Amino acid sequence: MHKQARRYFLLGAVTFALAACSQGVDADQQGTGEGTIELTEFPDRPYWGDTHLHTDNSIDAFGFGVRLGPEEALMFASGQEVTATTGMRAKLARPLDFLVISDHSDGLGATRRLFDAPRLGVVAMGDETMLRWYDMMHESPEQSQRAIGELITAAANGTLPEAMTSNPEEQDAATAEIWGAHLEMLDRYNKPGKFTAFAGFEYTLMPDGNNLHRVVMFRDGLDRTGQVLPYPGINSDVEGLWDYMLAYEQATGGQALAIPHNSNLSNGLMFELTMPGGRPITAEYARKRAAAEPVVEVTQIKGDSEAHPFLSPNDEMAGFGVKGWELGNLPLTRETTNDMLAGNYIREALKRGLSLEEQLGVNPYAFGMIGSTDSHTSLATGDEDNFYGKHTGNEPSYQDRALEGQNLGTRIGRFGWHYLAGGYAAAWARGNTRAEIFDAFQRREVYATTGPRMTVRLFGGFDFSEADWDGDWVRAGYTRGVPMGGELEDRGNPPTFLISALKDPDGANLDRVQVVKGWVDNSGELQERVYDVSWSDMDKRSRVGGKVPAVGDTVDRATATYTNDIGAAELRTAWTDPDYVEGQRAFYYVRVIEIPTPRWTLFDAVRFGIKLPEDAMADAVAQERAYSSPIWLKPAPPAIMEQQ
Amino acid sequence: MTLPNWAREPLVHFLVAGIVIFTLLAWRGGDVDPASRTIEVDREQQAQIALVFERTMSRAPTDAELDAQIERYVRDEILYREALRLGLDRGDAVVRQRMAQKMDILASSQAETVQPSEETLRAHYDANPQAFASDVRYTLDQLWFEDRKGAERALTYVETADDAFELGQSISLPPSVDAMTSKELADRFGIQFTQNLDGLEPGENWQGPVGSGLGWHLVRLRVRDASKVPPFENVRSDVEDHWRTQTIARRKEEAFQLLRDSYKVTVKK
Repeated sequence: MHKQARRYFLLGAVTFALAACSQGVDADQQGTGEGTIELTEFPDRPYWGDTHLHTDNSIDAFGFGVRLGPEEALMFASGQEVTATTGMRAKLARPLDFLVISDHSDGLGATRRLFDAPRLGVVAMGDETMLRWYDMMHESPEQSQRAIGELITAAANGTLPEAMTSNPEEQDAATAEIWGAHLEMLDRYNKPGKFTAFAGFEYTLMPDGNNLHRVVMFRDGLDRTGQVLPYPGINSDVEGLWDYMLAYEQATGGQALAIPHNSNLSNGLMFELTMPGGRPITAEYARKRAAAEPVVEVTQIKGDSEAHPFLSPNDEMAGFGVKGWELGNLPLTRETTNDMLAGNYIREALKRGLSLEEQLGVNPYAFGMIGSTDSHTSLATGDEDNFYGKHTGNEPSYQDRALEGQNLGTRIGRFGWHYLAGGYAAAWARGNTRAEIFDAFQRREVYATTGPRMTVRLFGGFDFSEADWDGDWVRAGYTRGVPMGGELEDRGNPPTFLISALKDPDGANLDRVQVVKGWVDNSGELQERVYDVSWSDMDKRSRVGGKVPAVGDTVDRATATYTNDIGAAELRTAWTDPDYVEGQRAFYYVRVIEIPTPRWTLFDAVRFGIKLPEDAMADAVAQERAYSSPIWLKPAPPAIMEQQ
Repeated sequence: MTLPNWAREPLVHFLVAGIVIFTLLAWRGGDVDPASRTIEVDREQQAQIALVFERTMSRAPTDAELDAQIERYVRDEILYREALRLGLDRGDAVVRQRMAQKMDILASSQAETVQPSEETLRAHYDANPQAFASDVRYTLDQLWFEDRKGAERALTYVETADDAFELGQSISLPPSVDAMTSKELADRFGIQFTQNLDGLEPGENWQGPVGSGLGWHLVRLRVRDASKVPPFENVRSDVEDHWRTQTIARRKEEAFQLLRDSYKVTVKK
């Protein structure tokens, strides 16, 4: 075991070498950011971010042709100009506050192995040939070419140095190096108070093409994340991922969480009523899941997973971003049937969670909601007028990208125009640091938007009223109630919610604010209802037949423009549940709807002079939206025997 | 782009590759060199596999887990060798692109770790001062009005009001901000508002109406702290980051040009 001990030492040395590398980086940038900046008393503003971005370290993004790496991704997200792979200069008009680069853990960085090997450990490896090549490569261009010629010959003859030959362990060792170098760079770009760069990866579990992907996000800097490797998705199951996260937390004292995404492409498997394989859910499984996955990604480029018209027939605004994606699983190898939809959509999962909690005492599906992009271009673009495409194969340089078939393997049903422009995550935090934003995710004080940056507040309590708006209602919200993501204990009277939605200051006005309630009725059945609680011009737009009339539509299809002549800048209300029944488990979340605006497809049609087919044209204008995390109402625990 | 999109999907490549491997093996599996059909997983390799497991899971594998990892290694190795034998690495768009990327990284790898000298960084700082300039900062009070008329009316008596802050309409915006950066100001009030502030002179009087995406504002712009280039010492790590990024990009391009110059390329018209 002498050799094994030596290898331990080498890996340890690599870790220390990496730690040493970041000496040039300011100490405040390296850890969780705790104690580095002044924090506000209460979360003061939403911080905007993308938790789901792929770069050229992702095997598929690379295959699609992206040539921008994590560094360009960080530059772009933080507001610097970069050149996109297809040559356009790109700069985000409104920089983001945080970013999780989530390259697929499978093969993460393996593409860079050959060249990282010489860089990081040639001398330590003690291989003469490699050392010579390394020196040649750095001596002069001619020598470099000669070295590469030798290298290619050696590869052809099978005489490559052992350290460079491809086998999985060494590939894993290479991943470790890439991972370490990547973490070191994240620390360089992590600037407390200005921009937060999170370590993360995507866990790509996909049985039979059914999407069970998760993004894993770390709270910590290189000192902790450098101690582990990303967890592979191939040949694993999701409980293995949760064990991995738990082991990380125990071994390093750090924290990690996982964010499921594209449940809409899981063919019913993401939010099952059973464990994988059909066994009944155990309390232990539910507890593990709830602990590992406090938040889900509800909206992104590959569709929106909030609600489906089949499951919510009374919700006229269900079905945003459903078209095309509802047809089948990720590669469209299997059709989605109606019985699968309940496991695909998040409102239904939140309802299932209530019922599971009644049975198990723990709710595996009590999650908050965020949006993100899942862009594979290294560019975290979420707005309709700056859509850079799902991947480099449909960046704006490809002018007919809206019309192309986008399905994998088959050409039925899914087209470019089904892509959404991508969403963003908003986190209510007391400052912009890793710890503050991660903790907002952990306590679910986060919300999703389909791209626009509206400011959404939600507080639940039992003594709120309209009069609270006249005072410091944010303080009231935090001190007399709970914010989004929180829980209320039933006290025998209906809860009241302070709800405020401010429009995106550079975007469209607001049409309405709705409360979505899900509950378990007295016969144990799952119920849902959508309430319009505030809307623009309420005095003039009174309900007709119990419904709020449509806000109107100012979009000019010929020029892809709209006006803010309709809608409101801000909508607020103190809303009390009119259908409250004591003892019933329930959740409440807020859906904020903008007035109709052009989608990226209409911008493309106008910019490039393309004629969209009829069904794409009908979908070229939409009402973008925000989804808050829910507040849960829980029955009071059985009264404790007070005597003796 | 002549290839349809599905043909560029790695998943499709994988499926096609799988089908080809298995079909060919079924046909002519005996043709390849049997000598290389030996895989020895010695103790050291097993230790490596165990080590990677431990680095991932923060604990040693059980015997069963180690067996499963070894089995996976063997499976990958067999398929990989067979794929090489069949030449599947050649003419594969993904492999081709990966190799090209590796060349780029080779060219830049040195720049990723080299420690630049103080002179280099100072020269870089002197050559790119705007890259390190601080944000403009604003200290201001503002009142919000839904329409322009309301703002104009309030402007006529705002200076004499007992409490100016009572005049604005209620909205979830901070009435006052203190030394806020233009980035954060734009996050809260919008880009339009921030740009419109350019037309105002700082002072203790109320000005406006200033338009924003939210409506109209009366603004008391107390301080506008112009963008400055901080001294080198304060932004040293930013300078180093900036230098590194630019150097990497330049090395890639230079390396490619050297290679490109040694090729004779003809594109037939």
